[in-house]
Amino acid sequence: MPGVARSRVRRWRIFFIVSGLAGILLAAVAAIWIVHLDRVVTREFQGRLWSVPARVFAAPLELYAGAPISANDLEQELHRLHYRRGDPASGPGIYRRTGNAFDLEARRVRFIDEQRDAQRVSIHADNASITSMRAADGTDLPVFRLDPPVIGSLFPIHGEDRLIVAPADVPPLLRDGIKLIEDRRFDEHHGVDLYGVLRATWANIRAGRVVQGGSTLTQQLVKNYFLSDEQTFGRKATEAIMAMRLEAHYSKEDILVAYLNEVYLGQDGARAIHGFGLGSEYYYAKPLGELGPAELALLIGLVKGPSFYDPRKHPDRALARRNLVLKEFGDAHLIDAAAVKREAATPLGLRPPGGSYVPAYLDLVRRDLKRDYAEADLAAAGLSVYTSLDLRAQGAAERALTQNLQRLDSKSPVRGEHLEGAVIVVEPNSGDVVAVVGGREVDTNGFDRALDARRPIGSLVKPAVYLTALETGRYTAATLIEDAPIELKLADGSVWAPQNFERQVYGQVPLARALAESMNLATVRLGLDLGLPKVAATLERLGLESSPTLNPSLLLGTVEMSPLEVVQVYTTLADGGFRTRLRAVRAVLDEHGQPLKSFKVRVEAAAPPAAVYQLDRMLMLVPTHGTARGAAARLPQGLVIAGKTGTSSDTRDSWFAGFTGNYLAVVWVGYDDNRETGLTGAQGALPVWADTMASLKPVSFEPILPDLVEDRWIGFDDGLETTPACSPDAVVIGVPKDTRLPVNPKCTSAPSPHVTAGDKIKEWFKSIVH
Amino acid sequence: MVQKHRSLTLPAVLGMALLLAGCPSPWPRPSVPANPSAIPPAPPPVAAPAQVPEAPPAPRPQAPPRENHLSPATRSLVAQAHKLLAQGDLDGASSTLDRALRIEPSNPLLWIELGRVRLTESDAHQAEVCARKALALASGDHAAQAQAGRVLADALKAQGRNPEAQEVESRPYMH
Repeated sequence: MPGVARSRVRRWRIFFIVSGLAGILLAAVAAIWIVHLDRVVTREFQGRLWSVPARVFAAPLELYAGAPISANDLEQELHRLHYRRGDPASGPGIYRRTGNAFDLEARRVRFIDEQRDAQRVSIHADNASITSMRAADGTDLPVFRLDPPVIGSLFPIHGEDRLIVAPADVPPLLRDGIKLIEDRRFDEHHGVDLYGVLRATWANIRAGRVVQGGSTLTQQLVKNYFLSDEQTFGRKATEAIMAMRLEAHYSKEDILVAYLNEVYLGQDGARAIHGFGLGSEYYYAKPLGELGPAELALLIGLVKGPSFYDPRKHPDRALARRNLVLKEFGDAHLIDAAAVKREAATPLGLRPPGGSYVPAYLDLVRRDLKRDYAEADLAAAGLSVYTSLDLRAQGAAERALTQNLQRLDSKSPVRGEHLEGAVIVVEPNSGDVVAVVGGREVDTNGFDRALDARRPIGSLVKPAVYLTALETGRYTAATLIEDAPIELKLADGSVWAPQNFERQVYGQVPLARALAESMNLATVRLGLDLGLPKVAATLERLGLESSPTLNPSLLLGTVEMSPLEVVQVYTTLADGGFRTRLRAVRAVLDEHGQPLKSFKVRVEAAAPPAAVYQLDRMLMLVPTHGTARGAAARLPQGLVIAGKTGTSSDTRDSWFAGFTGNYLAVVWVGYDDNRETGLTGAQGALPVWADTMASLKPVSFEPILPDLVEDRWIGFDDGLETTPACSPDAVVIGVPKDTRLPVNPKCTSAPSPHVTAGDKIKEWFKSIVH
Repeated sequence: MVQKHRSLTLPAVLGMALLLAGCPSPWPRPSVPANPSAIPPAPPPVAAPAQVPEAPPAPRPQAPPRENHLSPATRSLVAQAHKLLAQGDLDGASSTLDRALRIEPSNPLLWIELGRVRLTESDAHQAEVCARKALALASGDHAAQAQAGRVLADALKAQGRNPEAQEVESRPYMH
C-alpha cells in the first residue's frame, strides 16, 4: 500500500535526520571537547610547567691559606658534598688525594653572587689548616669556596618536591634507557601506541590479571600532569586525546624532558620525590650527570613501582629490578656485555639516609621568608634560598645535645620522661645563624623549641641589670653592693622574699663577684636601686622584642623568652653593644639565578661599647670564678670564654648563654611538660654548650678595649685594687680610665717585676699553644 | 705539653713569644692574651708613696697596641668588591664583603669597606653604624681609626649632622 510505504519511508527519513543531527551534535561536542583539551594542554604546558619548591642551601665552606681546615677535614667536607675519589680529569665531582695534596675538579655551581663553571683546583693542607691553593693554570688562588650544600626544599603541604633537569643535562643513557624500558616505540607513535595496547592486552589476558600497561610516556605524562588517579573509561579517553594533542603541538624532545622531570620516584616522609633530577639527589646525592649505568638503571627501574621497589625498604627487590634493567640495556646494546656484568656486580650504593636534614633550621628560614614571600611562591616558583647554616656547627650542636641529654636522662630520678633541649649557634658580628637544633630528635620535624619554646630565662637576665648599672657611671665592677635578705610588698599585697640559690647570704660583695656567682639578693637590691623601667629598657635595647612586665621578679628572670630571643640579646653583648639582626637567609635568587632579594647585615648601636666592655669582662669571670667553672674541663685548655648560667625557679629550665671569640651559643634544657629537672644551668645546659663549642675550633674571646676604658686588677672577694702577685684571687676588670679604686693596703708595694714577668709570659705562652 | 714548656728557660720563652707575637700571620690572628694571668707585664709603675692608699699599687694589665690588616684571602675579596663597586654592582660588592666578613668577622677594615658601600648605596644610617662598629673594633689602631672616622664623618654629613661630623674630624686620630 502506497500509504503504508509512504509512512515507512517517512519514518526512515525522520530516523536518518534525527540520527544525522545527533551525529553532528555528537561530533560537535566531541570537537569542542577536543579543542578544550587541546587548550588545556597547550596553556598548561606553555606556562610554568612545574611547581618547583624553593631549594635551600647551606653556606659554602670558604677555603683560604690559614683556614683551620685540616687535610682530613677537607676530605670529609668533599665526601659530604659527594665528591668521590678518582681521576679528576674524568669529570666534575671527582678528586685525587696524594698525601695532603688534593687535586679536584669542582662542579659547576651557582652562588649568591656568581655562577661558577666547573673548575680544576689543587689544594694543599696540613694537619691543622689549608696551606695553599692553585688554579689549573698554576696561579695562586687566595680564596676558593666549595659547593653550597643543599639542605632541603620548602615543599608545599601536598609534598611535591622536584629538581628540574635541563635538556642538555639529561645523560644519553637515561634518554635511551627510559624509552627502552617504558615506551619502546616512543619515537614512532603519536601519543598513543595501539600496538603497545594490543600487546599489553594480550599479556594481561594470558596472565589473567593486569601485568602490563600499554601507556606511552606521553600518556603517563598527561596522567601525572593533568588528571586525577581514577581509572575510568572516560579518563582513559581524555588521556589518549590529550596525549595526541600534546604530540601534535610539541616535539618528542620537549615531551621526554617533561616526563623525566615529572615522574614520581619515591616518598621521603611527607615529601614526594618527583623527577630524575631530585631522584638522583635523593638516592645518590649526586647530580644526574654523574650517575653511572647501574645508578641510572635503578632509577629507571623505580618508575614501574617506586614503593614496591623502594631500594631502602626492599633492597633485594630493587637490586633484582636494577639488574633486570641492566640486562635489557645490554640486550639493546646501550652498554656492552662486560659493562652489564660489571655494573650488575656493584652494590646499590645509596647515600646514607637522613644526614643533612635540618627541620629546625628550615623553620627559621621559612619564618624569615614569610615576611617577603607568599607560601605559594616558596612552594612553586623555583627560588633558590642561600642561608648561613654551617653544617659542621649544626652537626656539633646536634651531637652535643643528644649525647648530653642521654647522659642526663640516665642519671635522672624521673624514669621514662625524656629531657628536651634546644641549641642555637650564631656568628655574633654578622648575626649569621649557623646552627639551630629544636629538640633531641634532631631530624624530626616537630615542635621547634629553639624558636617556639618560651621559658623563664632565670639568671640570664642579670647581665641586663649589671649593664644598666655600669651605664649610669655610678657603678664599676669593683663597686661593693649588699647581698642581704630583702622583702618586698607587691602590688597585689603579697610579700616577695627572694633567696640565693644556696640560701646563703654573702654581705658586701663587688659587682663582679655578685654577677659571677649569680647572687639573687645583691642583684635584686641593685636592680631596685636602678629602677625596673630602666632594666626593662636595657633588655629591649639589647634585642628583646616585647616589653617585659615590670614586676620585681623580672630581676631574677621570670621574663619568658625563646632561645632565639636570648640569642638576639646576648649577640649584642658579644658584639660590643652593637645589635646585629639575626640572619638565617642571606639571599634569594629566582629560577634563572637572578638575585631577588639580599638580606644584608644590619647593625644598630644599642649600648655604649665602654659599658659593654666592662660587662663582658665580668662575664669572663663566670667561667673562671663563678657558676660556669665546670665548662673548662670540656674546653681546650686556656680558652677564654664569657657567658652566664640561668636556672628558673625549682630548676624547671636550665640555660647557658655564652660566647667564644668566634661563636655565640644559647642552650636550653628542660622538660616539655615543665616539670622540675633538678638541674642548674651549669649542670644541664653548660655541658651541651661546652661540647658544642669545643667541636667548633674555638678561639679565645678577646673583647676590644675601648679608648675610654682600662683594665685593672681587683680582688674577686673584696673588690680592692691589687696585683696577681699579691692576691691569689686577683681578677681583671675594665673600668673607665683613671677611675679611683680603693687599694688593698697589703698590696701597695710593687712586687719584683722579674718574677711576675717570667710567670706571665709562661702562662701566656701556655695559653697560646693550647 | 705543659711540662715541656715549663722546662724552657725564660729568655727562650720570651724570644719565642716575641717571635710569635711579631709574626705577620694574619689568620688566625696572633693570640692577644685576654685573661688576667696571660697579660704581659706593663712597665714598672711610677713609684708612689706607700702611705697613700689610692695610689696605683702595681703594674696594671695593659692591652698591647693593635694593628689590623687584611689576610690575602680577604684582601682579594675586598679587591673584587672594589671592582664590582666600580661597575655599579652594589649588591655584588655587598655579598663579596659578606664573604670576607665570614672569614674575618671582627676585622675593622672590612667594616670600613662595608660602611663605604652603604654610603654609595645612600644608606647613610647603616654607613654610620658600620663606621661606629669599625671604630670600636679599631680601638688602639690609629690608622684604622682614621679610616673609620672618615667614613663616620661622611655618613654624618650625608644625614645633615655637620656639627657631629666636625667633632669626629677633630679627634686626635684623624690627624
